[in-house]
Amino acid sequence: MDIPLLTIAELRRAYDQRELSPVEVIRALLDRVAAHDARLNSFIRITEDIALAEAREAERLLLAGERRGPMQGIPYGLKDIVETAGIPTTGHSKLRQDHVPAADAEIVRRLKAGGGVLLGKLATWEFALGGPSWDLPWPPARNPWDRDRLPGGSSSGPGAAVAAGFMPAAIGTDTGGSIRGPAAFCGICGLKPTYGRVSRRGVFPNTFTMDHIGPMTRSAEDIALMLQAIAGFDPADPGSEDCPVPDYRAALDGGVNGLRLGLVEGWHDGEGAHPDLAPAIAAAVAVLQGLGAVVEPVKLSSLRDYTDCKTTISSVELYSIHEPDLRARPQDFGRILRNRVLPGALIRGEDYLAALRWRGALANEQKRAFARFDALLTAGARTIADRADPSAPDRHGVTVSITMPFSISGVPALAIPCGFSRAEGMPLSLQIAGRPFEEATVLRIAHAYQLATDWHRQHPTLGPTLD
Amino acid sequence: MSDDLSRLPPASADDIRALVKRAGLDLPEELLQQFVAVWPQYEAMVRRIPRGRGYDEEPAHTFRPARW
Repeated sequence: MDIPLLTIAELRRAYDQRELSPVEVIRALLDRVAAHDARLNSFIRITEDIALAEAREAERLLLAGERRGPMQGIPYGLKDIVETAGIPTTGHSKLRQDHVPAADAEIVRRLKAGGGVLLGKLATWEFALGGPSWDLPWPPARNPWDRDRLPGGSSSGPGAAVAAGFMPAAIGTDTGGSIRGPAAFCGICGLKPTYGRVSRRGVFPNTFTMDHIGPMTRSAEDIALMLQAIAGFDPADPGSEDCPVPDYRAALDGGVNGLRLGLVEGWHDGEGAHPDLAPAIAAAVAVLQGLGAVVEPVKLSSLRDYTDCKTTISSVELYSIHEPDLRARPQDFGRILRNRVLPGALIRGEDYLAALRWRGALANEQKRAFARFDALLTAGARTIADRADPSAPDRHGVTVSITMPFSISGVPALAIPCGFSRAEGMPLSLQIAGRPFEEATVLRIAHAYQLATDWHRQHPTLGPTLD
Repeated sequence: MSDDLSRLPPASADDIRALVKRAGLDLPEELLQQFVAVWPQYEAMVRRIPRGRGYDEEPAHTFRPARW
């Protein structure tokens, strides 16, 4: 049994059958992290003592027959913008290098109550936006499939750590694609839930109206299990929605027979897209059709439109968050974050409102599409992971994004592996988006696909152990 | 009056410096120069936003007192 590569579902079965204990699992994962993370930089802080204490407690409760939920005894990591009481939460930034929160984020409270085991705080682009950066207190994370490449961002540490087998699950955050991008580049699964489905309280904000918190794992089934533990209304989050949380695991098994899926035209191919992507998406569509889904093309606005709209809104909201630090200590920002935040100072109020009104129109076109389709399909990323190049120009807002359309509409969107590029051997990804609060449908489609394929069961080779 | 802002001339370096100052920011020269190089791509982006919407097309996330 290769403990580091077991999924949440497999660990739960092993715990139930007393083939493994949470303490045994944590020790195996800590050994793997110690052996390999110096070359991947996925951790900012390993919480070894906390992990072992939480694992012992989980073990005690499991042996006593006390069940706390799907994450009981399951190791996980947190992107380091998620606040943890008594544990530094840095935002991967000099600006908060010594920040120790007094309280846990709401999702941390839920994961703790459910018996989860915190393995550590993970790398991020600076405050979930500025990256990849080489001028921060910690180096940028690397991609386990090729350490000369990046894992994408901004949930760079979670993407790298889950793909590397350091943990079966991590919490990421996604404003314009920061869960789905790293999931796509690292060959794992990442869900941006519906806006309001998972509490944002205690997570450092990026763009108030588009911030989402979600799970990153190695299977759709595991996404369902972790989502179950963190989803639900939080009256202290102004964006939280009070609507029922279904049994996501139970909903996985419906299959896709008869579902109507819209393949968005022109997003995953053409200029700038990796040449192997369109064939990989076509093959994924063929699998779903073979399982009984009806797939038809659908036309939506261009990625240029969605990217412009999202980036304008984000720039202004970002500035309102970072303005005090920008006035007081601009030199303490990483260069990339500073230059992505500053434009918000110059964008006029009428431009921001024009973008918000445009956002309504763009969301409405998706609403019309979801009247015809149960889900929409596109790629999780248009390229493979970038090379780690400190001199590369910042293309934020210039390069179009294939994840931002569903940030604009706030609907659930899941990236899952669907192949590899032929020349580079790097992961390719399928993105499935659903109607608001229909995460269960998105996960059901992904689970059916993963029962028929094994892309999600491919793992990178980490190379020799470090001494 | 046209809704197309893309016809406007790009801001000069002096314009950008003045806008930064008007925003109340006092950046060291090196950081200001970096930003002067970055702003044109954002200016072009903002000017691509379509305008001239009807009054019924209100902003996303309008205030909803029923949510209180």
